[in-house]
Amino acid sequence: MRNVFACFFVAASLAAALAAQETAAPLGNLAAAGSPRAPKVQVMWDRYYDHAAVGEIGRRLQQAHPNTCRLSSIGKSHEGRDLWLITVTDFTVGEADAKPAMYIDGNIHSNEIQGTEFSLYTAWYLCEMRGQNPWIDSLLAERTLYIVPTINPDGRENYLKAANNASSPRTGMVPRDNDGDGVIDEDTYDDIDGDGHVTQMRRRSPYGRFIQSPEEPRLMVAAPPGSQGEWELLGSEGIDNDGDGSVNEDGVGGYDPNRNWPWRWQPQYVQGGSDFYPTSLPETQAVVNFVIAHPNIAGAQSYHNSGGMILRGPGVPQDEFRPQDVRVFDELGRTGERILPGYRYMVVWKDLYIVWGGELDWFYGGRGIITFSNELWTDFKLFETSERPNNRYDRPEYEFDRLLLFRDAFVDWKPFNHPQYGPIEVGGFKKTFGRAEPGFLLQAEAHRNMAFTLYQTWELPKVEVDSVAVRSLGNGLTEVTAIVANRRLVPTHTQQDLENNISPPDYVSLTGGSVVAGYRIVNERTGQSVEQERNPARLELRNIAGREVERVKWIVRGNGPFTVTVSSTKGGTHSLSR
Amino acid sequence: MRAHPAPARLAALAIAVLLCVPPVSAQYLNHGDLTVALRNLAGRAGAQAELVTIATSPAGRAVQALRLGAADRPALLVIANAHGPHLVGSTIAMTAAARIVAERVHDSSTVWIIPRLNPDAAEAMFGSVRWARTGNGLATDDDHDQRSEEDGFDDLDGDGAITQLRLLDPNGAWLADSAEPRLLRRADVAKGEVGRWTVVSEGRDDDGDERYNEDPAGGTDVNRNFSYDYPAHGREAGLIPFSSPEARGLAEFLMAHDEIAAIYVLGPQDNLLKPWENRANAGIMNPQTRERAQEGTSQGGPLNSILRGDQPTFADMGRRFQEITGLEKGPASAALGGDVLSWAYFHFGRWAFGSRAWWAPDAARDTTARGNGARSGSGGSGGGSDPLADERNALRWFESQGIDAFAPWTAVTVAGERRAAEAGGFRPGVLLNPPAGEQFDSTMARQGRFIVALAGMLPRLELRDARSERVGDGVYRVSVEVANIGTLPTHTDLAARLRQPRRVRLDLALGGATLLSGEAIQLLGSIDGGGRSTTIEWTVAARAGSTLTVTAGSPVTGTASQTITLR
Repeated sequence: MRNVFACFFVAASLAAALAAQETAAPLGNLAAAGSPRAPKVQVMWDRYYDHAAVGEIGRRLQQAHPNTCRLSSIGKSHEGRDLWLITVTDFTVGEADAKPAMYIDGNIHSNEIQGTEFSLYTAWYLCEMRGQNPWIDSLLAERTLYIVPTINPDGRENYLKAANNASSPRTGMVPRDNDGDGVIDEDTYDDIDGDGHVTQMRRRSPYGRFIQSPEEPRLMVAAPPGSQGEWELLGSEGIDNDGDGSVNEDGVGGYDPNRNWPWRWQPQYVQGGSDFYPTSLPETQAVVNFVIAHPNIAGAQSYHNSGGMILRGPGVPQDEFRPQDVRVFDELGRTGERILPGYRYMVVWKDLYIVWGGELDWFYGGRGIITFSNELWTDFKLFETSERPNNRYDRPEYEFDRLLLFRDAFVDWKPFNHPQYGPIEVGGFKKTFGRAEPGFLLQAEAHRNMAFTLYQTWELPKVEVDSVAVRSLGNGLTEVTAIVANRRLVPTHTQQDLENNISPPDYVSLTGGSVVAGYRIVNERTGQSVEQERNPARLELRNIAGREVERVKWIVRGNGPFTVTVSSTKGGTHSLSR
Repeated sequence: MRAHPAPARLAALAIAVLLCVPPVSAQYLNHGDLTVALRNLAGRAGAQAELVTIATSPAGRAVQALRLGAADRPALLVIANAHGPHLVGSTIAMTAAARIVAERVHDSSTVWIIPRLNPDAAEAMFGSVRWARTGNGLATDDDHDQRSEEDGFDDLDGDGAITQLRLLDPNGAWLADSAEPRLLRRADVAKGEVGRWTVVSEGRDDDGDERYNEDPAGGTDVNRNFSYDYPAHGREAGLIPFSSPEARGLAEFLMAHDEIAAIYVLGPQDNLLKPWENRANAGIMNPQTRERAQEGTSQGGPLNSILRGDQPTFADMGRRFQEITGLEKGPASAALGGDVLSWAYFHFGRWAFGSRAWWAPDAARDTTARGNGARSGSGGSGGGSDPLADERNALRWFESQGIDAFAPWTAVTVAGERRAAEAGGFRPGVLLNPPAGEQFDSTMARQGRFIVALAGMLPRLELRDARSERVGDGVYRVSVEVANIGTLPTHTDLAARLRQPRRVRLDLALGGATLLSGEAIQLLGSIDGGGRSTTIEWTVAARAGSTLTVTAGSPVTGTASQTITLR
């Protein structure tokens, strides 16, 4: 790695950008629709932030919005970085950890960086919009968002600061012996020309099978039929550091952090990159511990890139989601497709590939949480079409780079003398293009994805006592009947939760009299009821389905007033007196 | 097989001497005594020993690992007592360790022992009220009623042990066996039988939820907390695999000790009396294509049985085990799933062997005449069509020995219970742990022999027949045979499909020569034991008389090196 200058430059320019924003005088403006009118924390949403900046943005939000945003850490990464948690809610109303909650994380794969900015944007937007938008205000009064912008800060730092390409590194930074030779991480990519990028290598050769495209000379295409070609392609920038005859075969890390989760985890021969045992990675462990300690989490999003997908599990054909839960996923996912043009709602194993031990599968399988993973960035965004022109001599990404980025995404081919290959040329797309949003689209995509997660947050269960009716039975006895409702789409218990006894039942309790007996009304029309013999003052409901109601009644000694309280681990608490 | 002078008594005595208590009371060790015994053993082995704590249980007990023998060579690991009531495993591990020290086995072999992987559960066998606890000390809400450990067992008959409770119940599923009325069996409705008893464990419904003892002390069963066929959401399985510090500690310990070539697990899972076999593919059926994919792949899912290539070794080890111990048959293995034995092979790629060690011998035979190494064919009629066969036999055997192993059914009063109730049944752990006397001694002896033998069966590399052959002027063909002079193959077939244990790496140091063909660094496939070998060739250009060095090694085989002079 010979990119000390590049690292320094990136760090310095970020610091300068943040500092400049602090001191500049505000400019007169008219806020656009849906934007904060007077944001207290200025953040430019057209760039990617390093670990220090992620924490700093969180700190500034907390300082500027102490009643909306709190920064804490859920654990440390392998290299000792904090896994920052930004908790966003209306801290003046209720207990943050008792409200139905949405969990959001990003960047589990080191190169899939924009999930971090999308997460940060979500925290920023909610903070800055609070008090300005009634919908946001009621969302924050009722719900809590646990936002972990990056659950892989070591990999993020490597991606940002070391020479890399758009796909490297995917792994985190825990050292592993990828090639089994007993030496660890000894043959990684090399920025051989020292320009701060890992691009591609090509060599002129009389036996080459490639040519430069006549329409777009930066693009290498296969020689047309009947001709030999002029170039051979030598892969990603690097040398055979350990002299074993292979190039770049043992890079940093050497596992897939999204195969290390404790649901249907399988070893290397079934699932490559799963590492030695489920939750062997400190980052996985930290998230698992956090989620187990926060049973109020009812929904989750884990941002990845790329491809424009709204993914749900299962990751493997062995798991089959129950129809009750599929209906919920479907309604959310299909609305998501409206919110996110160019994105498709898909099932991981059926529509993408099989994943054993993936994060979203543990969230659902292990904890019963409705979870999506959005695959951010899609070629659809290049020219807002899914059609790819059938032109072998040009490609939309090259055209986009020419017409909209003015060739900023590409390092032009230039000669280099390779220690093992001799005279070659090095060039290609930079790591910031191909999987990560280009700057001018970043905020728009962050907003759309946030809108999808806020819509999901809104649809998390919300329990209420709809009504309480009181009827005297004579002899000092009173019948109290209550209707309790779940106002939103997501049930208080997914079917996965119910079948595995993950969350406690919902409780409906009565105060104000001495309860003689308590019943759940199973058929309102016929009055059919089931008695709960134990502890009838606190009736247990297994579930309150989405946009459904449950009815209960008590025989009580006393005349009230009575207070009925419904309390649900994932649906909140609500009381009504009569 | 080597013969040892009265090794059973010797070993039992050795452990007793270490503890300065007579052998009978030293038979099974509580956590405190075990800790002292481990420290004493480590002290006696001196520089050849290392005692480390690999985990601390939720109740604060150290899970310790003791190394006997040099640190830097292939090692055998003995794991015992992951299943809480299986105390005999701990004692076997300790007795074998004492024997290793006494006989200086550790001069030539390295053995790690973890005598008690689940100390919290095992300790319940030493309390004032003994019970067969399996969960560690993590407070857990087993019945999901938002309260932890609110309905545990109760010693209703005051005999100092938790057995069973039977409730006279016209809807009961159980009835007394006609031949042995102390034993209960399920009523066969198809034969017109009507059950008479409902059976639960001994205790009261402390929390009034109409369930007996459904949330006792104890959280995670360490032997259900590993990842192979993990019983997700199952009772005492933990919230996730490796949630228990004991299981996680073992995984981390093994990751740090890649020299461990084989693992011997003492516990309810057996694969030595009935060796694991490769079975027909049971990979996942794709619901869309209706095709069954190959198991052990991404499409086909988990392995359901061992790889075909590993079957001969498991079979051979079963044969050796039976020969060394004189055991031929026994009760069926407990099911696999979340246990440490299956994990050690299927997910960790090591040679892994398991034995229950003891069960009540066949009462029909004379069990007193069995000598060292005699084939006894003890115990376990194998069940057949009689599901009570093992228990029936055990009752008879205990009786023949005059051992009080079964608490007679005794009427008890159970608060809040309207049905007539009787407490009784096998006392905790009696079916797993041999009583003092001949059975205990012979178990220690045969298991000790096997552990010492197994320590000598680890793979070991030797380079043979290193030579050069002149091909032309300054061009030589160089070759070497890499042989495994141990007994076990260097690796399981599974290891090649995992990243560990590391394969044998072969380096050719050229010393100025130019490599014309072959690889300077290469990784070899598994090499079978018993002296079998694989031959590697190179051609090089060099001056006559120059020397090359070949080095072959891996953590599980040790390293061998040879110099070749070109001529």
